[in-house]
Amino acid sequence: MAGGRPGAQMPHLSKMERVVVSMQDPDQGVEMRNQRLRITVIPHTVAGSDVVDWLVQKYCISEEEALHLGTLLVLHGYLYPLRRPRSLVLRPDDTPYRFQVRCNWEQTPYFWTSTLWPAAELDYAIYLTKKNIRKQGALVGHEKEHYDQLHRKISHTWDLVVMQAREQLRAAKQRRKGDRLVIACQEQTYWLVNRPPPGVPSVLEQGPERSSCTAGRVQMTKNTEFYKREMERYRKALTRARVKSSVCLEAYLKFSSQHAPHDPIMSGCLPSNPWVTDDDTYWTMNAPSVTVPTKLRVERWGFSFQELLEDPLGRAHFMDFLRTEFSAENLSFWEACEELRHGGQAQVHAMVDAVYQQFLAPGAACWVNIDSRTMERTLEGLQQPHRYVLDDAQLHIYMLMKKDSYSRFLKSAAYKDLLAQAVIPPEAKRRVFPFMRKLPHSSPSPALLPASTSGEPVAAASGPECGDGGT
Amino acid sequence: MAREECKALLDALNKAIACYHHLVLTVGGSADSQNLREELQKTRQKAQELAVATRAQLTAALRDRGLGAEERAEFERLWVAFSGCLDLLEADMRRALALSTAFPLHAPRRPLVRTGVAGGAAGVAARALSARSLRHEAEGDFDVDDLREQECEILQVSEMIHDMEMKVNVPRWTVQARQTAGAELLSSAGACSVGAVSVQERTGPCDPSKALAATVFSAVLLAAVALAVCVAKLS
Repeated sequence: MAGGRPGAQMPHLSKMERVVVSMQDPDQGVEMRNQRLRITVIPHTVAGSDVVDWLVQKYCISEEEALHLGTLLVLHGYLYPLRRPRSLVLRPDDTPYRFQVRCNWEQTPYFWTSTLWPAAELDYAIYLTKKNIRKQGALVGHEKEHYDQLHRKISHTWDLVVMQAREQLRAAKQRRKGDRLVIACQEQTYWLVNRPPPGVPSVLEQGPERSSCTAGRVQMTKNTEFYKREMERYRKALTRARVKSSVCLEAYLKFSSQHAPHDPIMSGCLPSNPWVTDDDTYWTMNAPSVTVPTKLRVERWGFSFQELLEDPLGRAHFMDFLRTEFSAENLSFWEACEELRHGGQAQVHAMVDAVYQQFLAPGAACWVNIDSRTMERTLEGLQQPHRYVLDDAQLHIYMLMKKDSYSRFLKSAAYKDLLAQAVIPPEAKRRVFPFMRKLPHSSPSPALLPASTSGEPVAAASGPECGDGGT
Repeated sequence: MAREECKALLDALNKAIACYHHLVLTVGGSADSQNLREELQKTRQKAQELAVATRAQLTAALRDRGLGAEERAEFERLWVAFSGCLDLLEADMRRALALSTAFPLHAPRRPLVRTGVAGGAAGVAARALSARSLRHEAEGDFDVDDLREQECEILQVSEMIHDMEMKVNVPRWTVQARQTAGAELLSSAGACSVGAVSVQERTGPCDPSKALAATVFSAVLLAAVALAVCVAKLS
């Protein structure tokens, strides 16, 4: 366990711990009873219903929520059932439970994988060996598998495992019978939570850490290193560009409202969702090069110049339009620059030369109109050509096309013809069993499904009809 | 012989660590008290003393170049067991520190978790220290000073582990343990059912106080029978 403090406690665990501690209050805590086992009496038992009532009263929540919170406490091992130890749920009746102390430091397994902390595997091996001794060799199921697995993994320390297991059992015998039972139950619950049986989800799993590694690390000493890092962080933060959230949100809303009808998840797709109906007409109709594009696709070209250029069909039509206006060399130049940027490293020199000869040299075949300052800069850069040497010129031409030709294209007859000729594919009728009452939707949109869907596998959705609203 | 000494020391260390583990399980629970904290400290210190002694012996033995292959294998086995013991001890000490800080016994007092453990652990500590019994009374503020000591001791143990790894080169993958899977079932000494979760009451033959009571009772019964026979004969 090489150095390093464990990471910050997971916040939900510290909250649960506070709840459990407030339950222990002798005056205002949960009522405790005694558990009677033939001649042994063990105190500090709570009934499930008492826990639920206490939670409802203390936090003013509904009974359903209290039950859920109680089950969370049981799942994490703060409370364990006495009758059926493997079923970690809170039952709101008089099922007895008992508390145990959980060390939150142990419950950050994300930071301590078994390679970093050999003691975790060793602990589990010792526990299984003790259980093996107690059950006279009758370990079953996943515990037997884990036992064999551990024996293969750490067979070199197996002497220690056996020695420790025997000694721990002997040490336990020094206690009273009631205490022994309690401690054994506690250990069993601990391992049920930390090594759940197959099929039971592990409550201690955390998703991938999205924020930076230093988030949540507890700083031990505020020395000069720490302050230097803080200063650097704030300096970087000052140089960040800031946008007012009102501006951001407006743009976001506009984008969402514009693109909503085009999103297959939000609005369904016509003729039908290929993943649902196994019919790939949708893909063939929206292939990159198709003679008659769909209406949605043509409309998208009107959203922004970038959309038009990204679609190969749109770009081809735009090129045709530019040819009628005798400014096709702009788009050719732009395409050539794109090829340079994304092409192979070995071809950079040759390509730069070709582009210069064709577009930039005085008296070239397709001379492009770039302003003098950009031209000077580009010509200087051509002395040492690299992939991005034509970026300025490309950007200039791009803005030219966007401000000038693009708006004319959208108002042109060519574009309007395209819109008129574009097809709206009809929604495919799904063949259904004759005895189905509801007609299943061929392109269900999960966003519009009602909260409780039917369990029938064929009827994937019983949502409202959104096919007609696709345009 | 050096091997026997090492083995004896390792057994004692093993016992101390097992008892310490058992004591740590009850920190923060209803049986927590200043006495428990003092027992923890005593067991911990005993374990550390034994660890230092074992380490000295084992290092001396392994550094000896004139050791035969079989002897060396034996010492390497002991070494691997010893480093495992230290890992367990360090983990338990950290756990104990975290729990002692989370459940301080001095004011401001946080209510202890009512776990149902009621009895004292003096027997366990006595076993660790190989004493017959332990009688003491801890002062009221024991745990405050103890916390600082615990931190220092944890650092000492981590240093010891680190030193061990650096100074003695024992490749773990070459060590073959003596015990195989299921070896724990073969011994008779530890094979009694202890603390079973179900409510089976087993009158196992391994309870010394019960055995003593049984012998005394049978002796008294025999005496009574003999007296009755004498009375019957006399009358």
